[in-house]
Amino acid sequence: MALEIVVMIKQVPDSQEVEIDPVTKTLNRMKARNVLNVADDNALEAALSIKDKVDAHITIVSMGPPMADEAILECMGKGADRGILLTDRAFAGADTYPTGLTLAAAISKLDHFDMIFAGEETSDSSTGHVGPGVAEFLGIEQITYTQSVRFEDGYVIGERELEDGVEIVKAKPPVLITVRLGSNIPRRQTLRKKIDALRKGVESWTLQNLGIPPEWVGFKGSPTVVRSMKTIKEKERSAKRITIEEIGQMVKELSDSGVLKMEVKEQ
Amino acid sequence: MTGLINAVPTDKPDEYRNVFVFLETRKGSVVKSSLEMIGIGREIADKVGEKLVCVIIGNHLEPMAEEAAKYGCDKVLGAESPDLEDFKTMPYAHYAAEFISEEKPNIFLIAATHDGRDLASRIAVKSRTGVTADCTVIDIDPKERILLANRPVYGESTLAEILCKNHRPQMATARPGVFKVPDRVDGKNCEMDIRKVKVDPDLIRKEIIGFRPKEEFDITGADIVVSGGIGLGKKEGFSMLQELAEELGGVVGASRPAVDVGWIERDHQVGQTGRVVRPKLYIAAGISGKAQHIVGMKLSDVIIAINTDPDAEIVKYSDYFINDDVYNAIPAILKEIKKLKGEKVEEITT
Ligand SMILES: Cc1cc2nc3c(=O)[nH]c(=O)nc-3n(C[C@H](O)[C@H](O)[C@H](O)COP(=O)(O)OP(=O)(O)OC[C@H]3O[C@@H](n4cnc5c(N)ncnc54)[C@H](O)[C@@H]3O)c2cc1C
Repeated sequence: MALEIVVMIKQVPDSQEVEIDPVTKTLNRMKARNVLNVADDNALEAALSIKDKVDAHITIVSMGPPMADEAILECMGKGADRGILLTDRAFAGADTYPTGLTLAAAISKLDHFDMIFAGEETSDSSTGHVGPGVAEFLGIEQITYTQSVRFEDGYVIGERELEDGVEIVKAKPPVLITVRLGSNIPRRQTLRKKIDALRKGVESWTLQNLGIPPEWVGFKGSPTVVRSMKTIKEKERSAKRITIEEIGQMVKELSDSGVLKMEVKEQ
Repeated sequence: MTGLINAVPTDKPDEYRNVFVFLETRKGSVVKSSLEMIGIGREIADKVGEKLVCVIIGNHLEPMAEEAAKYGCDKVLGAESPDLEDFKTMPYAHYAAEFISEEKPNIFLIAATHDGRDLASRIAVKSRTGVTADCTVIDIDPKERILLANRPVYGESTLAEILCKNHRPQMATARPGVFKVPDRVDGKNCEMDIRKVKVDPDLIRKEIIGFRPKEEFDITGADIVVSGGIGLGKKEGFSMLQELAEELGGVVGASRPAVDVGWIERDHQVGQTGRVVRPKLYIAAGISGKAQHIVGMKLSDVIIAINTDPDAEIVKYSDYFINDDVYNAIPAILKEIKKLKGEKVEEITT
């Protein structure tokens, strides 16, 4: 039986194009193109490299507005077999709790799954909390922040990047895996797969398909609310112009103020 | 298992009292970022006159619990078992959630390390509450006892204040390196409640089969960072920076492209996809100052920029700007430092 792999992805504003308005200091999302979240692309690559070796079937699941089907088609163009977009006005404004719940509800509607992949976090929210949330809703174990994943003798082996080293973890499916940004080089789409993807299309699921109440999802289902947004005041810096001749004076200033410690070793 | 279930508001928020912090452990000691949680947790608990409770899960907990107590908590609540020796998400989340349902804390803080984030939202879902990620400013409304969890958003330009008004506990993960480690004081009073537990075998579904300690060079603790970018033009430029860094007792940093072209190893990279440094002095030599680099160094106390381009973006982030070639400026700084040290030597010897 083919290994059933789910990859959770999100379409996000392109962080290279996102401009921060110099006056309001908020994100100017209007200008940015929407792209596949880069860590999710790494997650898909990790899943595809398993599919390269064993018989596997990959389903992409994403929650987002209708235009997010582009990102799903891109994943299918790289080799995913099926794409499902969870799209409904009721899903809007969700924090990590109902986002995880919505994704988990959709995944639980699939016949079967062995592995769920996700990026370590998204570039637009950077919480890293959604993947583990999904694992909790589904009652499965997880291997987060992996820099490499392999499937061997019926076990998933993931190398987790931690602050002080790399932990190697072994788990039996079903398991959720989150993948480090930049941990692999995602493959490109092929023309044939792109055409196939367009022919298959992306399935669109609404709240009705999930069978959970409307007050559980989106803004209504979110325990947290954003109360305010404040510009972070950058430290004012004087950019004092220094010529080569004035460097001696600068060094002296820094030494006097204790920034530079002129420790003199015993001669 | 939690199952597919919604978050539920608490109808009796008054029943929820005290502040929990999670203690992450490594090789028999509590990690620094968890001590930082004791610091901020203590502050918050004191503001509302509540207790600070440290939650610790693992094996051989007593020495670690004793150690944590020295940083100032009122109680350590532990679940101990040989099965909990290694970090395993499901049993760890299970015991943390059990402690929550038993003790009903108002607030639960966890350091936003990889293991901390791995665990936090699972505990939140189990407790059917919310969690705010990666906070850098944490406070409490003293009257309502509402946690004010602030996190940077939009490329660190904006601070969003996020509340979890109706659900308990109010949970947050907090960015490591932001909050202070409290002073360590011997002989503080602290209640110890370490329980030997028998872990349900169904919760043990992963196994740690190996660990490779990081051999990387760590630039994050240095007081002085001398960084180079593409403006150095060649690999040898980094030898020059190394000499200056050594003279100053600092380390060498780099922009990503300088790493990408192979002039220096990746563990020296400063920025969004590298390290975040916060030294007393940061020297940016031949670095243009793109946003992804700036986020990694803007918290430095003093910044010196060296750039041939008078309009480079780095200029506005600098305290001192040397509008000259790096190969003129760096040797001049080195010379002046040696000169000043020479004068100090004379002062001592005469
Ligand atoms: C997703 C993402 C993540 C990224 N993460 C990082 C990151 O973590 N860290 C990082 O640094 N970058 C990162 N970048 C890259 C970043 O956008 C910039 O490209 C990079 O910081 C520029 O490096 P640089 O300043 O060395 O090079 P350049 O931008 O090429 O600047 C070179 C500078 O040197 C000056 N110069 C030239 N010759 C001399 C000379 N002889 N003397 C003095 N000055 C001279 C020039 O005027 C110029 O200002 C990231 C980009 C992306 C898209």
